[in-house]
Amino acid sequence: MSTTPTSQLSESKPVVQKRMSRLRTFFLDWDLSQLALSLALLALLALAPLFVRSPYYMGILILTAMYMFIGISWNIVAGFAGQLLIAQIIFVATGAYTAIVLNNTFGVTPWIGILIAGLTAAVLGYGVALITLRYGLKADYFALFTIALMVTMKTIFLKWDFVGGAIGMGLRLSNPTWQKMIFRAKEPYLYIALALAVIGVIIQYLIYRSKMGKYFMAIREDESAAAALGVNTSLYKTLAVVIGAALAGIGGGFYVMYVTFVEPPQVFDLGLNVEIVMAGPIIGGLGSLAGPVLGALVNKPLAELIRGFLAGGRSGTSLIVYGSFLILAIVFMPRGLAGVFHTLYLKLTRRMRQDSQGGM
Amino acid sequence: MDLQIFFQTIINGLFTGGIYALVAIGLTMIYGVMLILNFAHGEFLMLGMYVAYFAFTLAGIDPYLAAPIAALLIFALGALIQSALVQRVLDAHPLNQIILLLGVSTLIIGLAQFFLTAEARSIHVSYETAVITFAGLRFSVPRMIAFFSAMVIAVALYLFLQLTKTGKAIRAVSQSRDASTLMGINVKFIYLLTFGIGAAVTAVGGVLLTPNYKMIPTVGQGFGVIAFVVVVLGTMGNFIGAFLGGLIIGVVEAFAGFIFGGDVKIIASMLVFILILLLKPAGLFGRKRT
Repeated sequence: MSTTPTSQLSESKPVVQKRMSRLRTFFLDWDLSQLALSLALLALLALAPLFVRSPYYMGILILTAMYMFIGISWNIVAGFAGQLLIAQIIFVATGAYTAIVLNNTFGVTPWIGILIAGLTAAVLGYGVALITLRYGLKADYFALFTIALMVTMKTIFLKWDFVGGAIGMGLRLSNPTWQKMIFRAKEPYLYIALALAVIGVIIQYLIYRSKMGKYFMAIREDESAAAALGVNTSLYKTLAVVIGAALAGIGGGFYVMYVTFVEPPQVFDLGLNVEIVMAGPIIGGLGSLAGPVLGALVNKPLAELIRGFLAGGRSGTSLIVYGSFLILAIVFMPRGLAGVFHTLYLKLTRRMRQDSQGGM
Repeated sequence: MDLQIFFQTIINGLFTGGIYALVAIGLTMIYGVMLILNFAHGEFLMLGMYVAYFAFTLAGIDPYLAAPIAALLIFALGALIQSALVQRVLDAHPLNQIILLLGVSTLIIGLAQFFLTAEARSIHVSYETAVITFAGLRFSVPRMIAFFSAMVIAVALYLFLQLTKTGKAIRAVSQSRDASTLMGINVKFIYLLTFGIGAAVTAVGGVLLTPNYKMIPTVGQGFGVIAFVVVVLGTMGNFIGAFLGGLIIGVVEAFAGFIFGGDVKIIASMLVFILILLLKPAGLFGRKRT
């Protein structure tokens, strides 16, 4: 997407400029700049507890970091690989249920439970990919299939007593210990969520830069052309769905440890899907590297602000906010915040390049 | 299951299926003409129900007589959504189209919850429990009226598409946008008209439901999903397919409800849906279009 030509930098430079030029090469690489921007913003979030005392605002920050991670999971499958996996929430829900059942029923520590949650979601993702590829479901039909799956799973989970049925499942709370991932203060939750977000940002970057990432994007742009050029589209579509599902499952595992409660209508829901999966990457720029982080930073805090502003949390406000976010982003900012930044960045780097040439 | 219950279940299924057919016709027209999956479709049904509710409680208008009001209002809303929003993404990536309409759906539900609250509402008319018994079978009067109204509207719409010049233009656009433009058809206007009509018939479907159906702002979501089932079953974009598909899904659900209980019957539709998607995604009517 961002092919910023670095060749314009002449190779023969005075020694004093060498360090500067390395920095310059770094900034002239838009992908690296996005990575740096994401990590810098996460670092700023990590400093937030120094200034933020109120548990309410800490809660918003924790959810922001969590939405970044879950947003990344969807950015990989929908943004990079262009798959219409609309109901990504099924993987978040699967992860949440796995983590809470492992914790409550089997006494498995959430630190491992969350990883198994990712594994379970990945298996579900593999199943989804296998079935849809086997029967050649694409585009619109694939989108509808994922929604049908969501409705089916919701009905099954409502009837499935082992996972709490219609009543849902509350986290069995013990005394706060780190082994059980239960804390009295909010800070530890923030740092876990931020750690996940950092890992997500790095994984996303590595995928984007890898051959696999290029194949994903080739499939997104034109699947049959990619296949004609020798890309194993079945394999890479499966990989995209499985990776996205695994990350979403891990995110779901953390979600339930933080929210401490899960019930079918809450998690198998397109409204929640819009809020925690889609809104972030779309506002930030779907398919871009900085998108999920930028978008989540706007998404949750702004939504809470508007919700407080509009009649103190009257029902429906958050839906109004998220619905408007999606509409405004698609109509006015289809490349998201990252797209806006990219335009600015191109202007800036053009000047930088001109400067470096003029300085010779 | 004795014969009488069997027939009774079929009748109940057909009565519900009539509404499904109407809602699905709206959805399939929009898809057939614009290739847009209207994820905000169920919300037009919900709005139709609320129009009937307020016409009844504020002006004392019988819910069935509120149908033209709802049709006009929701036609205007649909046309507005089409021209202001959907028109902009017609050539965009399908993901952007779906996200936009999910946004519209979320926004409409949110506004409904904000202004109308999430509490369940219903209206009570004198004939709401009236029943006609014929040959041992029970026909609920409001549901019968709803069914026959839906059938009349569906047939009228079909004739409109087949016989009038505008109808023919709509069908032409669904076959080829470029060729229609070359033939002098105002494609933008046809899109606006189609989206408006699609939304309006769905709203009428909602109106017809009101005398015996509780309404909440999220009531449309279930119907939206069912409409997708019906549309895929009857081949996406096929008018008659959506009509028959609606009746079929209605009957399937009625039997599933009878056998498994009401809250699990959605599973039956979903299984039909998944099987159709996997085994015959082109639907019952192959590749034919309206």
